[in-house]
Amino acid sequence: MQVHDTARELANYQNEPPQLRSGSFGKVGMVRLGFEPRPERTVLSTLHRRAPLIVQQALYWDEEMPALPCVSITSNAGGVLQGDRYLVEIEMAPKTQAHVNTQAATRIHEMDANYATQTQNLTLGADSYLEYMPFPIIPHKHSRFVQRTHISVDPTATLIYSEVLMPGRKYHKSELFQYDVFSSTVSAARPDGTSLFTEKFIIEPVLTNVSRLGAMGSFDVFGNVIVLTPKEHADRLLDAIDPAFDKAERLAIGASRLPNDAGLVFKVLGMETAPVNAAIRKFWSRVRQQVVGVPAPEKFLWA
Amino acid sequence: MTAMTILTNNRTSTVTDLTDSYRRLPEVLHLLQFGDSALPIGGFSFSNGLESAIQEGIVSDAPSLREFVLTVMHQSATSDGVALLCAHRAARSRDIETLMIVDRATFERKLNEETRLMTVRMGRKLTELADAIMADPLNHEWLGRIKRAQTAGTHPVSLALVLAALGVEARDAFGAQQYGIATTILGAALRLMRLSFVDTQKILLEATGTVAPAYEKVLDAELNDMASFLPMVDILAAVHVKGHVRMFMN
Repeated sequence: MQVHDTARELANYQNEPPQLRSGSFGKVGMVRLGFEPRPERTVLSTLHRRAPLIVQQALYWDEEMPALPCVSITSNAGGVLQGDRYLVEIEMAPKTQAHVNTQAATRIHEMDANYATQTQNLTLGADSYLEYMPFPIIPHKHSRFVQRTHISVDPTATLIYSEVLMPGRKYHKSELFQYDVFSSTVSAARPDGTSLFTEKFIIEPVLTNVSRLGAMGSFDVFGNVIVLTPKEHADRLLDAIDPAFDKAERLAIGASRLPNDAGLVFKVLGMETAPVNAAIRKFWSRVRQQVVGVPAPEKFLWA
Repeated sequence: MTAMTILTNNRTSTVTDLTDSYRRLPEVLHLLQFGDSALPIGGFSFSNGLESAIQEGIVSDAPSLREFVLTVMHQSATSDGVALLCAHRAARSRDIETLMIVDRATFERKLNEETRLMTVRMGRKLTELADAIMADPLNHEWLGRIKRAQTAGTHPVSLALVLAALGVEARDAFGAQQYGIATTILGAALRLMRLSFVDTQKILLEATGTVAPAYEKVLDAELNDMASFLPMVDILAAVHVKGHVRMFMN
């Protein structure tokens, strides 16, 4: 993996950490998951991992979809540190289904040198179905993080990929939007390479007030869900969504059709994680109902 | 040209801060014509998200309108602004294949429907207008490709093509585009809000002051650097699509 990242937004952060060098042993985490169909259920048939990223066996805990392997990506580093370079790859063979999440929020720790990056490659074969729903990301003060997500999606497959971005450690010295860089690029293409869309945003609260009207406004938490699915599903889902600016609840929700009939993007702005997660859960359940025919499972009692 | 280079070198400056005295009068007038909010390419039917922002009570007076305009312009500089600069470079070297790549990348970064509609509608109308009033083979070929649905025909690419054909520099083309965004929103504001022309002109003057620094930040950016972060505007656009009372198309 490339250790030195040439992204413009990282130009000012190329100094090496005084601790372990960037991209050195223990700083390059990797997970490669491959799912294949079996007569009764989908199985996790390929598993490569490199600490600090860890994956154990697939579990089948989803009562609505008992054949769905659920895989949790965990970390033994307690978060993302300066100089870390992560790679997550998920490959869905035709006619497979899987749910992948993380075990807890991804904390991007405070930085005083260098940056961290994560590359995600998601590949969805014909008629496959992937729910990739990591826990929220918490970028701490002065953290710099660049994430690139490349998606290859068959026209018959469905992906739901959600991301929730916190403003920082809100209840730790009211740390709101004090990170240096949060950059995310999601781009999708068909298996033959035909590009579908790209969403890139760079948030640099130190340079530009992110709480400006039109950007985050007075909201703190940003949820972004990308659903790549055949057009008939996307049309139905869009019809069912009531976009709203709810001032009493301080929650804003909206969805839009992606370019080139790729699917939908669903956005939520809120003050806390719980209402944003609840809105995403409701939408997730709708997607699942539309595509698979069953709702999302009940929330865990401890969640 | 030589005199100009010597002068700028003496001032240890770059080509980006050429003073206006170096700009030829025809270029100034081209900028006035194609930067004009009255240019008949349909800009008046778009509000750039302002209509739903007003309906939801998010923009309600001159200060909130000012903030809205400045945010949208700031984000436009790093997205459409970069697209325009990339397209201008390609137009200068008459490189239509690169123009196609820029056009596709620009279109694919418009994640809300109304913004996509706005950019391709205004882009096509501008290329049609330019084809009717000036003879530029590249622009003519571009119109052909739009009509044959070989390319989307986004507005930044069309504007870059027209202004490059007229000899307008990249920086000035960037300025014309940013100015156009401000006047589109402010023009809509006059029709949607209780405001005076003095309010909107005051905002416009402040907004135009942000264009040069914005250009400095993106002048060497490439296509992959295009980025914008306007989640609130995106949600407002979604509300607008489903809205029942609409004067504007976005």
